[in-house]
Amino acid sequence: MLDVSGVTKTYGARTVVNEVSFSVNKGEILGFLGPNGAGKTTTMRIITGYVAASAGTAKVAGFDVQEQPLEVKKRIGYLPEHPPLYRDMLVRPYLEFVARIRGVPRRQVRARVDRAIDRCGVGDVAGRLIGNLSKGYQQRVGLAQAILHEPDLLILDEPTVGLDPSQIREIRALITSFAGEHTVILSTHILPEVTLTCHRALIINEGRIAAEDTVERLAARGGRMRQVALRLARPGDGAAAALGAVPGVAAVRPEDGAAGAFMADLAEGQDPREAIASLAVARGWGLLEMRLVTRSFEDTYMQIIRGDAA
Amino acid sequence: MRTIAVIAWREARTYFTSPLAYAVTGVFVLLSGYIFWASLVRFSELCLRFGSNPYFSSQLNVNDMVVRPLFGTMGIIFLLMIPVITMRLLAEEKRAGTAELLFTCPVTSGQVVLGKFLGAAILLVFMLAVTLTYPLLIMGSGATPDMMPTLVGYLGVLLMGLAFLAIGLLISSMTENQIVAAVVAFGALLMLWVIDWMSESATITLAAVLNTFSNGLWEKAGLGTGGPTVGELLSSASLIAHFQDFRKGLLDTQHVVFYLSVVFMSLFVTQRVLESRRWR
Repeated sequence: MLDVSGVTKTYGARTVVNEVSFSVNKGEILGFLGPNGAGKTTTMRIITGYVAASAGTAKVAGFDVQEQPLEVKKRIGYLPEHPPLYRDMLVRPYLEFVARIRGVPRRQVRARVDRAIDRCGVGDVAGRLIGNLSKGYQQRVGLAQAILHEPDLLILDEPTVGLDPSQIREIRALITSFAGEHTVILSTHILPEVTLTCHRALIINEGRIAAEDTVERLAARGGRMRQVALRLARPGDGAAAALGAVPGVAAVRPEDGAAGAFMADLAEGQDPREAIASLAVARGWGLLEMRLVTRSFEDTYMQIIRGDAA
Repeated sequence: MRTIAVIAWREARTYFTSPLAYAVTGVFVLLSGYIFWASLVRFSELCLRFGSNPYFSSQLNVNDMVVRPLFGTMGIIFLLMIPVITMRLLAEEKRAGTAELLFTCPVTSGQVVLGKFLGAAILLVFMLAVTLTYPLLIMGSGATPDMMPTLVGYLGVLLMGLAFLAIGLLISSMTENQIVAAVVAFGALLMLWVIDWMSESATITLAAVLNTFSNGLWEKAGLGTGGPTVGELLSSASLIAHFQDFRKGLLDTQHVVFYLSVVFMSLFVTQRVLESRRWR
């Protein structure tokens, strides 16, 4: 669906995007991750044809953005970081305008606008002035604008910025519902967003692709052992040593700060939680909490961004 | 074609849903109406005083004394107002981020430029259409102005207005700041308005200037130092000089071609400016 190869963008002496190459298959949701200023927005702008790349090519459905920009633009829906709204227009006329310049056939304009309004939940505000809407509603109108013409490729630049938690959840559900029929690229610097919505993630740092893989594999990268966090009401003196003797536990150390808190590293491929629980009951330690800690996506991300990745 | 119409229509709607169209049209009608009324009153007074004198009454002409000053006034008001009409066309689009929408839609930059230009032209035509009541009022007063020269005058005002719009649009494409767009457009229009003031004193010919710059090579090449003077060149670049014949009711194709060329050139450069944005 989308093929980006060797895309580079320089502003004067500053290289914002450096030799970025990746491809996205039809129906996939790809997450673009990276700190602010990493080149996410510029890469997206190059794919949409808003900015021309200094080198490299981007192809959407086989059409080169430089050579056949109109063919590409027909196939994409784009929500920039700041939703591109005419503040002095009403919601519905605005969406109708976008539908028309996006080339939706005249007879279908009404139906498509209705559908987009319905999907993005802006029916209540359809007759209001865009400039008077809250940030959350403006973001939704921006999203409605991007999906109006049922694009093959949907490009969303930080779609959940400025929304409250329940709105974020709705938007995520909406994005997930696009998978399959549409291909989606979304950029974000919120990690859970990628874990929750994306199939694959691309971590960009300083204009380069630092990592690209499925979310699960990225999270598993580095291979640190799993741990169990324990909290005991009345740990005796020998609690740490006794825990360490449980089969499957590699090492135990008391956690700083909280009384009775321990962190047990687990041996590869073993799950001794049941044994730990029985031991705690048998010794009368008063087990308050036991929690499995897996290495999170966030750890991988931080390592990659800091540059000390494996 | 349809895309251009959609963009133009949205632009015109924006003018008419904001106070701008009404403020601009209102002030335009107020000023031109006042001038019209003043010259009409003066004309009827002269008619009353000298109407019985056969020599004077043959000199009294409603076209010369009422319609012509009216078009002159309209030209000056356009000079002041058109920068306000054009300032937001592209500058606002860039500042609000909606340019990112327009240029990621299957729309060429040429279509955007034409759409914007036509949208502003709709407002211009509306403003002029309101003033069509003036000739009707003259007819109601019993005097009969010649309709053809009046219509030619309107054509002149319209063409000049379109040329102003195109220049304003060009300047709006170069900045994100509306105030800057308005000030620079006003300066450019005023400059092109007064540029022929030099025509009397700049009597050196263009060929002579080129001769000086080329250290005499021009003359040695047998190209001569005759031909048009710099002053003549400047006066033919003046936006107002080409308007004078229209005011008199003379329809001369050279003036029509001049205004259309200004429109075409400005729109063309605007399109190039928009295209170049992608590479910066």
